[in-house]
Amino acid sequence: MNGRSGRYQALVTLLAFALPVFFIVAPLLMFLAYSFFSVDHGEINYTLTVANYVRFFTEPVFLPIFWSTCVLCLSVSVICVLLGYPAAYFLTTLHGRWRYIMLMMLMVPLLMSYVIKIYAIRSILGQSGFLNTMLVGLGILEKPSSLFVFNMNAILLTLTLLLIPFAILPIFLALERIPQVLLRASADLGASSIQTFMRITLPLSVPGVASATSFVFVLAIGDFLTPQMVGGVNGFTFGRILYSQFGTAFNWPFGAALSVALAVVVIAAILAGERFGRQKGLPR
Amino acid sequence: MTQSLDLLSLRAVSKSYGPVPVLHEIDLAIRDGEFLTVLGPSGSGKTTVLRLIGGLESVTSGAIYLDDRDISRVAINRRPFNTVFQDYALFPHMTVAANIGYGLSIRRRPRPEIKRRVTEALDLVQLGKFADRYPAQLSGGQRQRVALARALICEPRLVLLDEPLAALDLELRRQMQEFLKSIQREIKTTFLFVTHDQEEAIGMADRICVMESGRIRQLGTPHELYYRPSCEFVARFFGENNLVPGKLGVVDGDFRAIDTPLGRLSCCIGNQPDLRAAAEGQAAFAVFRPEALSPAGAEDSVNRFSGSVRDCAFSGSSTVAHIDAAGQHLRLRVPSRATGSQFRQGETMALSFSARESHLVLA
Repeated sequence: MNGRSGRYQALVTLLAFALPVFFIVAPLLMFLAYSFFSVDHGEINYTLTVANYVRFFTEPVFLPIFWSTCVLCLSVSVICVLLGYPAAYFLTTLHGRWRYIMLMMLMVPLLMSYVIKIYAIRSILGQSGFLNTMLVGLGILEKPSSLFVFNMNAILLTLTLLLIPFAILPIFLALERIPQVLLRASADLGASSIQTFMRITLPLSVPGVASATSFVFVLAIGDFLTPQMVGGVNGFTFGRILYSQFGTAFNWPFGAALSVALAVVVIAAILAGERFGRQKGLPR
Repeated sequence: MTQSLDLLSLRAVSKSYGPVPVLHEIDLAIRDGEFLTVLGPSGSGKTTVLRLIGGLESVTSGAIYLDDRDISRVAINRRPFNTVFQDYALFPHMTVAANIGYGLSIRRRPRPEIKRRVTEALDLVQLGKFADRYPAQLSGGQRQRVALARALICEPRLVLLDEPLAALDLELRRQMQEFLKSIQREIKTTFLFVTHDQEEAIGMADRICVMESGRIRQLGTPHELYYRPSCEFVARFFGENNLVPGKLGVVDGDFRAIDTPLGRLSCCIGNQPDLRAAAEGQAAFAVFRPEALSPAGAEDSVNRFSGSVRDCAFSGSSTVAHIDAAGQHLRLRVPSRATGSQFRQGETMALSFSARESHLVLA
């Protein structure tokens, strides 16, 4: 009887390891391997070479776009956190049922189709869209501006709108975990509400801010659809280059090398989020 | 007691949460430099008293005076009181030193001064070596001492302690009781200590305020409350008193007769005018402690009766016999002896207690 349950446990353990290895680690390793191959007249040449990486670092197109994409996605995460923090803080000031109703309302956009949301935002930002009509109607602009669509601004605005719920949620959870008695203790020791916020609430919510930042950054940098749809000719991002290597350019090995570069940044972002998300003095 | 010795006084303070009253017109004066314990079962309103004084809640009616100045509407962060919270409420992201120095740095004291006073406070609570640790790296007793140091450093007029020992185990709690008491004697700051543990209250307090159902039942020294309870609730709440119901008889000097199932007993009324003035025939209880009851042979005592031993419980230093006397359950406590118990189950014995060691409370 012990033998059977022992074998059963071994099988479950094996599965638990095999599944992620098979579906996550193996494909990643395959990508890594592909990045060292090359393409010759539409055929993949399986001799190992670092030519793809050399090309990435030497050709003057790729690195500038790579950095500008990183900066863009960093701006998106900073804006998301700056807008999401007050929203999350507002949620924690609500009591009982209202808190969760409001949270639900803020999360509802996540349930909608990604593509539909992008279309909706594009029609708001467009030349004859809601934003331009309103600004002209209010007399702020004389004629509709083309600043909001088919450029970097459009990507920034759209990604921010799409990803802001991912910033609110971790910040809200971090704020909610702060014991109320700490705020009372701070007031008891003479602190005003602003002092209590700056010295207790804010530092204790840093883990939430860190995971919000890395969440949004990782999601933004991996996105190629949004830049594709609202970026136009001027809004070229690394995701789009990557996408084109697997599509029109049909250069999988080079695409794989670009993906590895992207993966390095993503892993770094996740590690940074983890590092700053660790609360000083709290065991994890 | 003159007015000027009172540090803080609550005058006709009431508090309700919505329609639910929690405190009914409480009057309480806290003397400068004393260790006052507010004692009561849960739901008695004792924590509410503390929260009202600390400023975590506001009074529904009545007023709180500090040196004859009404502070009922003063904000929490402007009251010269500091609290030691039940679960310590240490800031987890700050070191022990930063926690203790928090109040001073909020008041924008210069850095060298903060450093010096934090070191002093750490020495006071014997945590000198732990300045750079985080609260998560400390034991319960150590956190407790950090919380105390943090509350003391701003030199508050009054330190409020909200059942701070509840989370500690028995041995540690004993140590902390002695520690708190010695610190209070050393710095001579007024302590207001809230607890539901009567042993804790007796061991530490200069005075105890017993509360029940949002009212103060009795305020006095531990000795007074122990031997001269003023009402049935206090008599029952403090240890395992014997209460025998009866009807009041005549007054005889410092004593008064009471007719009970055990016969006519004579009990001390001391200087309590209401016991002297109460009408004959009024319902009351004769109250005496288990250690005041003795098996037979007692000298000149007037209060004699007989009872049978129902049960006998050895508890280390003392032995308690549960006795059935005319249908009344009484406890008798004697020091234990190595030669074994002197009680045999079912045995009928003569019993007595001295009138001086007894007391009356009105029913």
